[in-house]
Amino acid sequence: MEAAGLWMLAAVAVVMIATGLPAWVALTGVTLAFAAFGVVRGVFDVSILTALNGRVVGLLENDLLQALPLFVLMGVLIHRLPLAETLFRVGARALEPTRRGKPLAALGLGVLFAPMSGSVGASVAMLTRIVQPRLESAGLPAERNVALVCMSATLGVVIPPSLVLILLGDAMMRAHTEASHAASLSARILNTQDVFHGALVPGALLVLASALATLVSTPATSGREASVRVRDVATAALAAGAIAALLGGVALGYLYAVEAAAAGGVALVVYGFATRSLPAAALREIVDECLSITGALFALLVAATFFTLVQRAFGTDRWLAALLAHAGLGPGASLAAYLAMLAACALVLDAFEMIFVVVPLLAPAVLTRVDDAMWVAVLTLLVLQASFLLPPFGYAVLMARGRSRVPVATRGLALALVPYVAAQLCVVAAVLAFPSLLWREAATVAPAASEEEQTRMLEKQLEGGEQK
Amino acid sequence: MRLLDRGIGAVCAAVRWLVLPLSLLLFLQWPLRDLVQAHSREANDAAQILFALFVAAAITAATRHRSHLAVDAFAQHIAPRWRERIARVTAILVLAPWAALLIFAGAVPAWQSIAELEGFPETMNPGYFLIRAAAVLLALLVLAQAVVDAVAPAEG
Repeated sequence: MEAAGLWMLAAVAVVMIATGLPAWVALTGVTLAFAAFGVVRGVFDVSILTALNGRVVGLLENDLLQALPLFVLMGVLIHRLPLAETLFRVGARALEPTRRGKPLAALGLGVLFAPMSGSVGASVAMLTRIVQPRLESAGLPAERNVALVCMSATLGVVIPPSLVLILLGDAMMRAHTEASHAASLSARILNTQDVFHGALVPGALLVLASALATLVSTPATSGREASVRVRDVATAALAAGAIAALLGGVALGYLYAVEAAAAGGVALVVYGFATRSLPAAALREIVDECLSITGALFALLVAATFFTLVQRAFGTDRWLAALLAHAGLGPGASLAAYLAMLAACALVLDAFEMIFVVVPLLAPAVLTRVDDAMWVAVLTLLVLQASFLLPPFGYAVLMARGRSRVPVATRGLALALVPYVAAQLCVVAAVLAFPSLLWREAATVAPAASEEEQTRMLEKQLEGGEQK
Repeated sequence: MRLLDRGIGAVCAAVRWLVLPLSLLLFLQWPLRDLVQAHSREANDAAQILFALFVAAAITAATRHRSHLAVDAFAQHIAPRWRERIARVTAILVLAPWAALLIFAGAVPAWQSIAELEGFPETMNPGYFLIRAAAVLLALLVLAQAVVDAVAPAEG
């Protein structure tokens, strides 16, 4: 009966694909069905399900999750304001000597804006609107065009402080706390800031590898970018500097992610008003869009917390940990099994579903076997980033194909994505082979608030245990 | 039913603006903490309340805007009539019971919290009861939208 949690996971994938129902509805429906089964068969008491309220209130009072609507707001504002367009034109002009100025500028735009916009969907929407028509007019084949948009949109995932990184950091902190309790480990609990630091070098490597893949796989583009005004160059330089300062401030621990996202949102609204590019009607649409996109992400969180509650009521988490322990696998084999399972799930689930559903189930078990929590977190991040990009279900692929002005065949797109997936595999291999690549300074110098966050999380974990 | 639908729409339309003061409060938290060295916790608690109310309505807003993440690769071949039926059935069998469970589990603690005007545990600032109430609001909106979708679904 303990294996029921794995059947739940399989059932979610089947229901989602077969019915096209929203992921949160599929998660909730499958969980309700299994919960009813568990109660009827006497596996657990119905009162366990009332812990759902405590879990939802926990989400509503989570400081870190406040970043969610702020990142979404930034993403929607960036999509609407002419700032990204200016940056792309200036970047394409500056990179023209490489004869691949526009494709490289598209990647650059992804690096700058994707971590800020938080959602891969928002990044795809922005890049499709700004970049795709220009690459099309420069003669880039449609498949390569869409592949480039996908890669650019997902680059932000591994660059701190992307929304995926924040949520993964939180999930890994919970997983590490659980693993420490289960195996009586005395290691310092991993926090979000550690994951930010750990992601810096692999993120930089991935940007470089993607740029190289673009240079090698993209034919030289035709057509010069129209000349840019001095004012545009100044705006682009100022914007790029401000974004780099915000991202760097968070990544290096000088700023909290939530405050940086709020500062970015306020700055963009002020910019919109100052340049008269944000009329009242547009602002109404922006807050409307922000509400519904935030709802889409938060619904997944709420559904996932119900899913993991029932999974734990079945005892699947403890069963998996015991299974791994009895299998006699060493740390290396445990990690390989964990990454293989993540990669298999990534074929049908997107990064948010993985963070909320799969990571809480699998990560605690592997963290009882592998000491280096930051290494596991960064490898998880890289697999999640790949999950956005794997055809046919990768979220970025689905979004970019759906928004593409020209129909793109799956086979052609898969071939165009090969250089980028190869670049990702190289970075994964490098991180696997050389754990010392990760920047670990923060592991010993964590900010005070993060320690508070840890203690609070530890208390919550203990409360959760008592509820059971 | 139209009245219920309009009511849900009105709540979402009002709540959507909260993201602006939420951004402002969380931005101000930074200078309040580092420069003024006062009131940053009050700003954080107020932002927490706004966040809770915002996301409580956000899930239903996403349902109304059809913004929820879904895998459409195979399901796009299902006839629209059947997809509508599937949506109606899940509204009745999944979303309504789930929301009812959340209301059942959360209504009494929320009511007690409101009656006591419960404050934030760490700062003792007032308003924590609004976060508990937001959880019930979230469930009520999901339930109301499920009823609307089951009885008179919007045309796709």
